[in-house]
Amino acid sequence: MRKFVFFGGKGGVGKTTVSSAYGLRCARDGLNTLLVSTDPAHSTSDVFDQRFGDEPEAVAGHDNLFAMEIDPDAEIKRHMAEIRSAMSDQVSPAIVNEIDRQIELAHRTPGAYEAALFDRFIDVMRNSEDYDRVIFDTSPTGGTLRLLALPEFLESWIDRLMAKRRESVDLFEKAAIGDAEAREKLANDPIIERLTDRKETFEFAGRVLREEAAFYLVLNPDDLSIEESHRAIADLSEAGLGVGGLIVNKVAPEPDPDETGIGATYLRERHQTDRRRLDRIREEFDEPVVAVLQQRVSEIKGDLLAEIAEEIAIETAPDAPTTD
Amino acid sequence: MTLHERIEAFRELLEEWLHGLYHGMIEHPSFEKIEKEAEDAADVFMFACFADAFGIPSPVSYYTAELLPYLTDEFVAWERRMWDRQSLIERKGQQYHF
Repeated sequence: MRKFVFFGGKGGVGKTTVSSAYGLRCARDGLNTLLVSTDPAHSTSDVFDQRFGDEPEAVAGHDNLFAMEIDPDAEIKRHMAEIRSAMSDQVSPAIVNEIDRQIELAHRTPGAYEAALFDRFIDVMRNSEDYDRVIFDTSPTGGTLRLLALPEFLESWIDRLMAKRRESVDLFEKAAIGDAEAREKLANDPIIERLTDRKETFEFAGRVLREEAAFYLVLNPDDLSIEESHRAIADLSEAGLGVGGLIVNKVAPEPDPDETGIGATYLRERHQTDRRRLDRIREEFDEPVVAVLQQRVSEIKGDLLAEIAEEIAIETAPDAPTTD
Repeated sequence: MTLHERIEAFRELLEEWLHGLYHGMIEHPSFEKIEKEAEDAADVFMFACFADAFGIPSPVSYYTAELLPYLTDEFVAWERRMWDRQSLIERKGQQYHF
């Protein structure tokens, strides 16, 4: 089993429940486990009845289990403050205002949120040597998948930027004839240095995602969620990432045969529809269905979570062969 | 003044004139042309980094904002140039002296 496990899927399918349950299972199997929530509407806190912050914290009542909730807004603010302080070291205050507008702008673009989240992802992956298993409970499909496809895209972008920068600096060097000092120099150019740093980070992320991460999709037995999963698998494979398996959640339970009330009839029909959809899922997807979880009446916490944990048939041993 | 000194003075004058001529006719124009070319290349780089300054959303502006502290002067100058520039031809035309 790979070290980093991502759970994705449409909003409301129960990603948090599944990833918490899986985390609990890993922890019970003796693995040091970190559960990372990246959903802006954090609900890990509700599952464990404990507030989590931006740093890993031990989950009360469970050995080996740690949890954290990433806050991209805080990360954006931190990033902005860092740039501003680097600038006040370098630049005269007169010019700072002019640049400030650009910094604000860059941190308000729609991509900023994703970039910040992505930075934190990488951070967590980089500093994960204390854990045997890191589980990411991701935000609903679209955003996170785009995020995971980012490294390659960003790498090529940075490559192009670096080529452009090299070209212009090279020309500036050539323009400095004789003893004249070149306006820009290629050796220790801070821009190229920064871009190289970034590129290395993206390369690291790309490598880890391809080689050390496993992806699981959570879906419900309904058409929307099935469609969304098809798209998600297509997006992921386009980014060179395979999906390890599917977890079908919220399948209606079957009533006992001797129950005949209205409620029981309704449930029986629901159960049959869900069965058919489940068959469809098994037929349509190449990826194995690793768990089928029944719809629960009560909120999923405590013992119920442990119960679900047992039902998720994903290997937890760190060195077992991977499913994908 | 001895003959020797007069020849020396004349040679110095000649050298200065020749260098001036060389600088004016060859060195300076090519220096200018390369530098303008370098500025153009730098502009393309700046645009790729900060396209959002002109309302074009850029997926990497969050990351390239990190470069701003090192590019401040260039950034301000670039922004001004981009707003001022009438056409590409006008800018290219500046590189030639007729």
